[in-house]
Amino acid sequence: MQAPRNPASPWRNVDLTLLLSTLGIALIGVVMVYSATRQKQETAGLDPAFFLKRQAVYLVLGLVALALVGLVDYRRIRDFVPLLYGGAALALLLVISPLGTSRRGTQAWFQLGGFQFQPSEVSKVVLILALAAICAAARGSLDTTTLLSALGLAFVPMALIYIQPDLGTNMVFAAVVIAVLLVAGARPRHIAVLSLLGITAIALVVELGMLQDYQRDRLTAFLDPQTDSQRSSYNLRQSQIAIAAGGVAGRGLFQGTQTNLSFVPEQHTDFIFTAVGEELGLIGGMSLLGFFGVMVWRIWRAAVLARDQFGRLVCVGVLAMLVFQIFENVGMTMGITPITGIPLPFMSYGGSAMIASFIGIGLVLNVHMRRFT
Amino acid sequence: MTQDSSRLRLGVLGMVVLSLFCALLARLWYLQVLASPTLKVEAQLNSVAIVYTEAPRGRILDRNGKILADNRVVLALVADREEIAKFPESLDRLSVHLGIPRVVLDERLADERFSRFKPVPVAIDVPKDKLIYVREHQSDFPGLEGLQLTERVYPNGTMAAHVLGTVGEINDEELGPRKAAGYKAGDTIGKSGIELTYEEDLRGEPEIAKLEVDSIGRVQRSLGSQPAVQGHDVRLSIDIDIQRAAEESLQQGIDLARKSTDFLTGEVFIAPGGSVVVTDPRDGSVLAMASNPTFDPNEFTNGISVRRFAELNDPAEHYPLTNRAIQGLYAPGSTFKLATSMAALKAGLITPRDTYNDQGSYTVTGERSSTFTNARGARNGQVDVAKALTVSSDVFYYWLGERFWDNRGRLGTAAIQDVARSLGMGVFTDIDLPFESNGRVSDPAGREKLHKDYPEAFPYPEWYTGDNLNIAVGQGDTAITPLQLANSYAAFVNGGVLFAPRVGQAVVDRQGQELRKVDAKVLRRNDLPGSMLEPLFAGFRGVVSDPTGTAFGSFAGFPLGAFPVAGKTGTAEVGGKQDTSLFTAYAPSNAPRYVVSVVLEEAGLGASAAAPVARRVFEAIAVKEGISTAPPAAVIRDLNGRD
Repeated sequence: MQAPRNPASPWRNVDLTLLLSTLGIALIGVVMVYSATRQKQETAGLDPAFFLKRQAVYLVLGLVALALVGLVDYRRIRDFVPLLYGGAALALLLVISPLGTSRRGTQAWFQLGGFQFQPSEVSKVVLILALAAICAAARGSLDTTTLLSALGLAFVPMALIYIQPDLGTNMVFAAVVIAVLLVAGARPRHIAVLSLLGITAIALVVELGMLQDYQRDRLTAFLDPQTDSQRSSYNLRQSQIAIAAGGVAGRGLFQGTQTNLSFVPEQHTDFIFTAVGEELGLIGGMSLLGFFGVMVWRIWRAAVLARDQFGRLVCVGVLAMLVFQIFENVGMTMGITPITGIPLPFMSYGGSAMIASFIGIGLVLNVHMRRFT
Repeated sequence: MTQDSSRLRLGVLGMVVLSLFCALLARLWYLQVLASPTLKVEAQLNSVAIVYTEAPRGRILDRNGKILADNRVVLALVADREEIAKFPESLDRLSVHLGIPRVVLDERLADERFSRFKPVPVAIDVPKDKLIYVREHQSDFPGLEGLQLTERVYPNGTMAAHVLGTVGEINDEELGPRKAAGYKAGDTIGKSGIELTYEEDLRGEPEIAKLEVDSIGRVQRSLGSQPAVQGHDVRLSIDIDIQRAAEESLQQGIDLARKSTDFLTGEVFIAPGGSVVVTDPRDGSVLAMASNPTFDPNEFTNGISVRRFAELNDPAEHYPLTNRAIQGLYAPGSTFKLATSMAALKAGLITPRDTYNDQGSYTVTGERSSTFTNARGARNGQVDVAKALTVSSDVFYYWLGERFWDNRGRLGTAAIQDVARSLGMGVFTDIDLPFESNGRVSDPAGREKLHKDYPEAFPYPEWYTGDNLNIAVGQGDTAITPLQLANSYAAFVNGGVLFAPRVGQAVVDRQGQELRKVDAKVLRRNDLPGSMLEPLFAGFRGVVSDPTGTAFGSFAGFPLGAFPVAGKTGTAEVGGKQDTSLFTAYAPSNAPRYVVSVVLEEAGLGASAAAPVARRVFEAIAVKEGISTAPPAAVIRDLNGRD
């Protein structure tokens, strides 16, 4: 290999494997969203490609966001973290004001023309940056002050999201906090206590919600499937039946009867993996998880290779965010994790999550390609 | 914190991530490889629904192929009650869309005739564009669905309603034994008349469609279907022209009776209803069967409203749903003299030439001495059996009645009744229509049994000479249907063959090809020697064509030369009611092809009310036979006091 003029140039060190695996997943997602919505749209006499087109637009927007994030050195981005954090907190505050709109009992969206923007998705990435920044500043020794500061940072957006309420997103936040603190050097018993606290908090939230009517109603809406146990088990059963029906080879793209016939709820958003399982079978499902595996491996690798602690923690945060969502979402469709409204990154229909996930990958690429400079 | 520590922690994180992925892969493997076969079956059941759509019923045709019952396709909107309860605004939109007030839609939705678990038709006969709009904007009309229904239609309205019958939704009682035959809840089934008797032929085979449905049962696509087979047509022996004449004539007769007064009591006749039956004595086929009052079977097609059904069963309306021709029971009066005469000749109590001096009354001597008189006290002088029939001498038959009783040791206690039964009176005719009444011909044994079973209604178990006089003139507890009356005369004029009357003629396919013939069925053959029949034929001829005949006036001007009619009038006394007017006749009298029987309830003399009705029916028949008839003569009221 001929030594280049500047082997450390960021643009020579873009992790193409990460970029391509992510892009591959997102493209599969676009096709599956189409497969899951096509027939329903057609039956209703609407444009069968409506969701396809929109998801494709989100994919392009995600790539643009990724490019923009990649252009600016992550260490420069670090300087803007307080601003970003403030902005995210403000957005989360505004969304629970009358400015936001609610869907199925959760007030988490801004209506912008024909599109909805969900600030909690982007705030995940902002929290990762903020946590990484504050923990990196501690330079390896995570004292109690830093730990509490980090928890305090996480508390504000999590409290605002709790009000929406969106327990699923908060669980992602919790996973991110614990992973970042773990790698940042938190003592094992801190991690243990935090995990315990987190579980207790979730239990308390549910219990408290049960005690107060308005809160319970919101929780019911959010916990929709779980409060109505019959419906929940029905969804779960249908989803598993669909995946099982796929068998090894799958029923073929666009051929899934369970998926197309709406036996599986939310099949283009939360239950998109069901469509993959039914139509593409074990081969397709394993391939998709393989792509995810490659993506996660490259993120982990970026964390290992990171030049500084900030960059490393950013990668860890993104890793935790994506892995938790993948595990929770795919596990839910197969009946091994509870049903929550967490989208499958790059796959589920939706713009905010897509853009937020691409920003996350953009940050990882950023850290990775600037590891020599 | 060292670089190593950080690496270690990243390693832990990596292990956690790896194990999570392994869990997902293991679960995926379990579902898609290990559990797949069993769950696949469930997926199949999930998405395939078998939908039965009823085939259009076969048509009902008259003997010349004219349509009496047909089908029409209607577009309907049905509402799912559960869904509507969730989305009441759906009906608001529909109300605006169709211009039907919301209250009307609510009323239809609440209709208790429809099962709670079945969609309720809220709008039938919806214009096509309106239906398409609802289908295209399904999200605006949750709970509403557009359907194409095939429904029974009777193009002639009330015509032959009692014969054709009605259709309706199958009930649990009907469904039970028919499940094996493929009936499903909600199916249409014949409820009465031909629709019920020939249900199996008319029904056809439903379309069995395998459909792919989504989780809430919406049809996505067809997975193939077995097409519906329309039911076979049933051709009747009914002649629509004669049927129409019978119905119109009957209505006219009732209307006239209601304008007439009983000159003995001065009361206007109530004439609540009546019946006309026309049969072919050669094979028992029914050419017309009219019952009045009547109803429109179309009202039943989509389920009749409870209010309307109550109206149709209101005694004040005189039970229009009853088919009086086969369910109405009437004392036959003098028309019964056919049986008495045949019995007397058969038993040798009289010869055709034996006479009795009719002085207007007949007194029974003995332990319960009493005097029986002719109607209106007429004196007919010396009468033989033929003359007695022609002028309707009751005294002659009282005399026979007593002689039968006196000879009961030799002839048995029920010699007249046995002959009457051999002519089909008081026994089921076995016609191919449901819910027939059998009636009864009263006799000593029957009276005793009736008393034992219903002591309140029949307080006297004994049979006296007077009872035998009553039976001889068709009075007393004897009650027969108009069809039995016609059938008994048919069994006389055809030489003794008692047929089971038939309304159905053949089951035919769409091209008119006969698939199954409904054969004439002989119930019994009576041995009737010509020597015995001749005086009776003469007597019945005289009723119509002899100036002393009771129906002579009613047939004045009728072309008896070209189309000779013979018959017998009857006026039956009914306790607590006005007289029943009867007339039964046949034509051409030399080789009868038509028997007509007319019964008018509470309408007076047979000669004045029933005979003119029969005359108009014969006029219509004569026209069909190509015989010119004089313009219908004004109804001649026979006021000579004879029956």
